[in-house]
Amino acid sequence: MTRTTVSLRSFLLTAACIFVFPVAGTALLAADPIICPTVEDMDFQRFFANELWLKVGRAECVKCHKRGGDAEDTRFVLQDLSRLVKAEHATAMQANRDAFVRMAFEQDGDQSLLLLKASGDKEHGGQEVLKRGTAGYQILQTFVRRARAPNLNPTDGSAVASDHTSLFDGIKMLEDHRLLRRATLSLAGRLPTLDELASLAQPSSRTAANAIDATTNRKALSATLDQLLTEDAFYLRLQECFNDIFLTLGVDGNPDQTVLSYEHFDKTRGWHQNFDLSHIEDEKERRDAGYKLARDYRVALLGEPMSLVEHIVRNERPFTEIVTANYIMVTPYTARGYGCFDEIQGQFNNPVDPFEYIPVRLKSLQGRRESENQDSDTGFYPHAGILSTLQYLSRYPTTETNRNRLRARMYYEHFLGVDVLELAARVSDAAAVTEKFENPTMQASECVVCHKTLDPVAGLFQNFWRFDRNSALYGKRKEGWFTDMFATGFEGDKLPQNDHWRALQWLGEQTASDPRFARTMVGHAYYLLTGRRPLLPPKDLNDPFYDEKSIAYHAQQHQIDQITTRFAASNYNFKTAIKDWVLSDFYRADGLLNPVSSPKRMATLEDIGLVRMLSPEQLERKVTAIFGKPSELLQGQAAMLYGGIDSKEVTERAVDPSGAMGAIQRTLANDVACRNVSLDFSRKKTDRILFPDIEPDAIPGESAATDKRIRDAIIHLHQHVLGRDDEEDSIEIERTFDLFAGVITDAQKSGRFDKRETWSCRQGLETPVPDPHYTVRAWRAVLTYLLRRHEFLYE
Amino acid sequence: MRRDFLKTCALTGLGLTVPTQRLSAADKNRELPPYDGPYYLVFNASGGWDTTYLMDPKGTDRINRLYSKEQILTHGNHRFAPTAQHRQKGLSNEDFYAEFGPEMLVLNGLDYSVNNHSPCSRYMATGKLDSLAYPTFAALVAACQGASCPLSFLTFGNYSATGNLVAKARVPYLPSLKRIANADSIEGNPKSPYHDDFALNRIEQALQQQHRDRAEAMSLPRRQHAENMLYAAQVNSKALNRVTPHIPNQIPKTRLAQQAEIALASFKAGVCVSANLSIGQFDSHANNDSDQMKLIPEFLEGIAYALHRAEDLQIRDKLVVIAQSEMGRTPDYNKGNGKNHWSIGSIMFLGPGIEGNRVVGKTNEKQFALPLDPKTLNTVNDEGIRVRPEHIHQSLRQFAGIANHVYSEQFPLSLKKSEQLMGLWGNPQRPE
Repeated sequence: MTRTTVSLRSFLLTAACIFVFPVAGTALLAADPIICPTVEDMDFQRFFANELWLKVGRAECVKCHKRGGDAEDTRFVLQDLSRLVKAEHATAMQANRDAFVRMAFEQDGDQSLLLLKASGDKEHGGQEVLKRGTAGYQILQTFVRRARAPNLNPTDGSAVASDHTSLFDGIKMLEDHRLLRRATLSLAGRLPTLDELASLAQPSSRTAANAIDATTNRKALSATLDQLLTEDAFYLRLQECFNDIFLTLGVDGNPDQTVLSYEHFDKTRGWHQNFDLSHIEDEKERRDAGYKLARDYRVALLGEPMSLVEHIVRNERPFTEIVTANYIMVTPYTARGYGCFDEIQGQFNNPVDPFEYIPVRLKSLQGRRESENQDSDTGFYPHAGILSTLQYLSRYPTTETNRNRLRARMYYEHFLGVDVLELAARVSDAAAVTEKFENPTMQASECVVCHKTLDPVAGLFQNFWRFDRNSALYGKRKEGWFTDMFATGFEGDKLPQNDHWRALQWLGEQTASDPRFARTMVGHAYYLLTGRRPLLPPKDLNDPFYDEKSIAYHAQQHQIDQITTRFAASNYNFKTAIKDWVLSDFYRADGLLNPVSSPKRMATLEDIGLVRMLSPEQLERKVTAIFGKPSELLQGQAAMLYGGIDSKEVTERAVDPSGAMGAIQRTLANDVACRNVSLDFSRKKTDRILFPDIEPDAIPGESAATDKRIRDAIIHLHQHVLGRDDEEDSIEIERTFDLFAGVITDAQKSGRFDKRETWSCRQGLETPVPDPHYTVRAWRAVLTYLLRRHEFLYE
Repeated sequence: MRRDFLKTCALTGLGLTVPTQRLSAADKNRELPPYDGPYYLVFNASGGWDTTYLMDPKGTDRINRLYSKEQILTHGNHRFAPTAQHRQKGLSNEDFYAEFGPEMLVLNGLDYSVNNHSPCSRYMATGKLDSLAYPTFAALVAACQGASCPLSFLTFGNYSATGNLVAKARVPYLPSLKRIANADSIEGNPKSPYHDDFALNRIEQALQQQHRDRAEAMSLPRRQHAENMLYAAQVNSKALNRVTPHIPNQIPKTRLAQQAEIALASFKAGVCVSANLSIGQFDSHANNDSDQMKLIPEFLEGIAYALHRAEDLQIRDKLVVIAQSEMGRTPDYNKGNGKNHWSIGSIMFLGPGIEGNRVVGKTNEKQFALPLDPKTLNTVNDEGIRVRPEHIHQSLRQFAGIANHVYSEQFPLSLKKSEQLMGLWGNPQRPE
């Protein structure tokens, strides 16, 4: 680079800019116009974006220095990019850069005020944010130096680029028909149909043809996905996924008591106890019918929030309705619990179906005492999607001391993707702070950083101020809401007085228009497909792989941005988010095209590839899809043992198999093979699933033709069970063939063996299947082997 | 060389290569030798226990309504609150200290730095406040000392992150252990195998070959990780059959005892290194005294049960017990007779290699932590450190001999040498 070029690229402070070097102690007011050096240099801009903003500004400063933050009244107020749509980011970044540059020129004596504040030396409200000498402090130091000395050459740090466009270079992508199998199994628990497979063009070796294939196939895949996302099995998966997130199935106690509490539903919640079953003559049958009635009623009650999710997605309504829907979903049974069945029974297709959900707007709650009646300007319950469901409020209860903060925290996590407690800063002596301040949550900066965000939202739940769910959920605090908490509202906006009765609806409206909401929902779609949350930004600046992790994070964020834009453009049709993810490189990435020896590159690729261990529910559905019936081995306690959740105590699914799970995998493989091999041979050939083209009399080594038939049968099994397309002469087929042949050889060597399958494995056959050559048992060994493999147990 | 390789794997997120690394040294199909201890039991009083009703008694009206200063009891060097008259069920402090005081080390004045459940639980379990990636001590020690055990790290609740180093195993019910102990037999009956031995051997060989070939193939890191984990889980699970003889016929009634039985049977069978045991509801914002008097005795009874059963199983001399909670309770009562969150608390240790009858650290009469001289472990007025979870974890890592393990280095606690607690474990009479 020539000197001239360097000079041209050096900092140019615009002529229009008026230099003001504030004297220490002379404060600029927040309302003062920005009088600042505007830095045009690209290197400097990159340094700001990739270093200062990423590692210091976004990670630390903006927690408080933003509108609604603890430092909103200072002269250093930044824009929180997470609250802006993508199109506004560039302008906001420029404003943030200008704000930092302006601060860089402020001095306290001969020292940088910015550095002094950051290190906690100069009455910084947030105290010590960056320790002197740490990587973050050094970045800030460099920034100040560069801002004040524009001719300084860039430091090494500024050269770091967050170039995420090359993330998928050298990555092998899943072929279309395998992608289709992945999607149908994942979303609808079934294998692709022949028609769906036929709709995809076969891979071609010609480049031009490949391009055509790709376009054609994308359209075909898109059409298949459209169909897939209308199937009932998809909605089961959808509900399962969102329960993993919201955990509303984990409501404590019997929901007919803890969701429908005594104060407001005492006359209706126990309807099932008086339900007329007198037409059932047999006493035991009548009693059992009563039990079933109660059981179905409770299951239906628990299912309401997730049915709302299903209703919104199935009808392609804006997904914002999960926080704005002015209705809930009820069934004939739960409607009785709410006391509205008589009014709405005509709307049900089948008024005796405990699980037919329809949308309904409840009337405002009426208490046993007038003081417990729900406020309402309309006479209706102010529904706000899931937020205001009694299940959600019961699942996340409050206490007198918690003051709805748990609900506020969960709200942030579920709907805006913010872990408020991650903001929790270390306090030098939290006990002393508690003692020192009369009201630490509003006075101590260490506490304010979280509470200024959390408490206003907690206040929005103030009308649900009862602690014994059995007794009541709705109810106001006698003395009025707490005044020793930050005022009720949302991120700097106060709740309008007229909206107090509908505070959660107001919150839902704020949420729906917050850009973080759409991004979070796109993240939920990613969770549905992959079982993991989107990456968090790397935080440890000393991590030797910080830059690589940053690239991976930004690549994923870029994808999320793109999908979010389309999601919003589709009027928040959640299906578009799922489809976009399925068709993205993130879902399709399947391997490496070339060996990678660089640990840095491996660090970048650490989270790439689906590779998800199937949950017990998914695995059971896969068994059903492949064998036509479930294993029934992964239910109840076994599901928990296999990494499932109970939505109460155990709320995170296992991501890696323990030895206990390894044992269950062995049992599953053994048992499914045992139940299916002889059974399949006992069927007519046209009805067979596993062995359509071979009989047990085919013995390896008899002839080349027989061996060929055995290999073809193995190819079919690999395809059907594992989704693999192995060539006849591949090592995979050879290995399975060797297993099959080896077992038979060993059996023959052993001299004597029963000429029939093991008793347990020859039950329920359509016709007897003798096993004089041990071939049936050898096929069972083959199937056991396949069922224990990664391709079957993972997606 | 292997160390460097592991370090690279660990840094790049492939930490779980260990199971297959270890297996590749020998016949991967052969059952691994039993893990022979030490075993680590971490008891969690989830929700925040009131230490002033246990090992850090105050006896002033403001802090304790159930007893006075004069009623505080001692046993050797321990001071503790009297609870025999107040407990509803379970074990009183009096009985607990009488039996275990001589073996027990208590640290008072532990500073959790914050006072919310979630970050405190994370901090207390891992020694790191501001990271979601760090493993709990129980998971770390399991990964370092016995990652190939099928139930290397058992957890029954509480914060249980593994740092991607080891799989966490959940075996919630005793009968579940029986279900998994004989996976290759029909309905768990060893006399009814699904396959003849030669067929099963062939299956295992094919899986081994397939795994070996796959390891040489070009896979994404996640895929490598998953394949290694899967293979190790299945191969190692064969060792679970050793658990069967140690599963008791009777299921105990209390929560901790049920968890302890599963953990101890797994220890005895050599298939487990550490277990995270937990009971909740300590978060006594209302009616602190009645809640704590119900839960602390239940908690102590659980610890005692585990120690007695370990004696029966002849593994007591290899059992290390850590008893902790994520926070303490305020030094005053709120209007509902409850106590709120307090960022100062205590922790207890007991086991081989730990000198008992000792109390380290102090709180003052207002329940504030006093600084500690890390060299002498005496409380000091000015100079000194605030003992935080990272200090405890650094000491635990040293105690377990894993402080310099590549996995520990992957999750550094970054404590200066001068801040590390010297001689925390004392000078115990190690068992022969």
